[in-house]
Amino acid sequence: MLSDDLAGFARAIVHGESPAVRVDEGYAKYSAQVALEVYRNNYRGNLHDALAGAYPVVKRLVGDDFFRFMARKFITQYPSRNANLHRYGAELAEFVAAFEPAKQLVYLPDVARLEWACHCAYFADDGVVLNLNELEKVAPAAYGDLVLHMHPCCHVLHSNYPITAIWEAHQPGAPEDFRIDLDSGPVDALVSRNNDVVAVTELTPADAAWLLKIQAGTTLGEATAETLDRHPDFDLLRALQMLVAQNVFAGFTLGATA
Amino acid sequence: MKPPATLPLPYAAGIGLRAPHYREVLGTLPRLNWVEVHSENFFGGGAPLHTLLKVREHYPVSLHGVGMGLASSTLLHEEHLSALVRLCADVQPAAVSEHLCWNAAVDMVINDLLPFPYTREALMHVANRVDRVQERLGRPLLVENLSSYLSFPHSEMSEGEFLAELTKRTGCGILFDVENLYVNVRNLGVDAEAFISAIPADAVKEYHLAGYSSCDGCLVDTHDHPVYPEVWQLYESVLRQIGPRPTLIEWDSDIPALSVLMGEAIKAQQRLDALEACHAE
Repeated sequence: MLSDDLAGFARAIVHGESPAVRVDEGYAKYSAQVALEVYRNNYRGNLHDALAGAYPVVKRLVGDDFFRFMARKFITQYPSRNANLHRYGAELAEFVAAFEPAKQLVYLPDVARLEWACHCAYFADDGVVLNLNELEKVAPAAYGDLVLHMHPCCHVLHSNYPITAIWEAHQPGAPEDFRIDLDSGPVDALVSRNNDVVAVTELTPADAAWLLKIQAGTTLGEATAETLDRHPDFDLLRALQMLVAQNVFAGFTLGATA
Repeated sequence: MKPPATLPLPYAAGIGLRAPHYREVLGTLPRLNWVEVHSENFFGGGAPLHTLLKVREHYPVSLHGVGMGLASSTLLHEEHLSALVRLCADVQPAAVSEHLCWNAAVDMVINDLLPFPYTREALMHVANRVDRVQERLGRPLLVENLSSYLSFPHSEMSEGEFLAELTKRTGCGILFDVENLYVNVRNLGVDAEAFISAIPADAVKEYHLAGYSSCDGCLVDTHDHPVYPEVWQLYESVLRQIGPRPTLIEWDSDIPALSVLMGEAIKAQQRLDALEACHAE
């Protein structure tokens, strides 16, 4: 049966078992064992390259050899589930956080989260961008009930480490001499896409607190009131202008009353 | 913006277009007859698709899939197929191709192009899946012969016979990768002449050329070298027997400067032109 042959072949590649499928044993220049190793190396190599493509900053931070070692462990723990390689590696941040040899790099899991958000932003569907003219049709009295939808590209992340500075310092062409103070305090990062370029911007704590509530689906009125409670300096109009300019919103609905 | 109407691929040499060259190609619009891209790189739309649509305004585009797994023993991945259907609607490609291989079994996905025993059971299975893909795409699919490092004692036919039968049953075309055939000749002792005469010349719609590397005596289809003289020689022989077809230079790893790729394409073009001149005499 074809299905038995393929299952046996697949286990030999993914789990390193001896193949439970009949294969020709000897070839002119090599053995079946060599051929099997080529397939095993291809499997790991393709997944390694997918991870390296999605996590270039993590790779630069730990170096090629360590990244290869870490990727190998990750691949064993998280075998591929999708024929599209761009979907591979979502769990790297989680994995890194529990990965003993990388424990001293306390910021690494958050950098990985940021990179995955950037990777997803790059490949995310275009969707629509909020049309301000549509927003003008909403009666001012109903503003409080507005639920703003975030664009599928956009994501807000909170970290206790300066992940945006780390990310910027490891972009291609960034200056070699940089100093990053790991104790500089928490950071809120916004990932967005503008003209096909993924951007990482730092948000003020007030803007981030507000946008995190919006991201969670809270109405404009509630999100703003709760944010003002904690951050009396929060300026809704300025925040909205800044975020709309970065195509952060896809559209809106009128909350519970709609 | 709607792409220009679909035209067939010209009977000329094109190049595989990969991310490192997007900017240069769009910035300088070099003279390229056509380009081929990997379909999966543009699934989901987004920034990559915008780039491809710009490329499409200037060049015929062929979509080459590496993930459909026509021979996989799992169900045909409908989400994957839908993404390809959507991409075809956006791009209006000149050709759509996939490989004669598998990439999934039970719960395992192996992001590679894997060989399988060429049995009558496999033929029926693959033919059903090609039918389904073509039905969704509303156009014939080109199916590419594979480079293999292993063969199976219980194969009931050769790869060439399998492909010939597949085209007969489904109406699909053949993407003849000359380098893959060469790799199989060297690795598995496949008879090149038998392969060429087994496949129907009319069904062959495109050729691929690339460079391989060697690992412990096994030739590996790495697409990281120029086309080797032996492969050029085999290509010339294929051209004489099957005739000229759109020909692609593939390069996927250690990707060189665009000028190097274009130089390789010129070498293929010279061989296509020589054949033309020979026929004209």
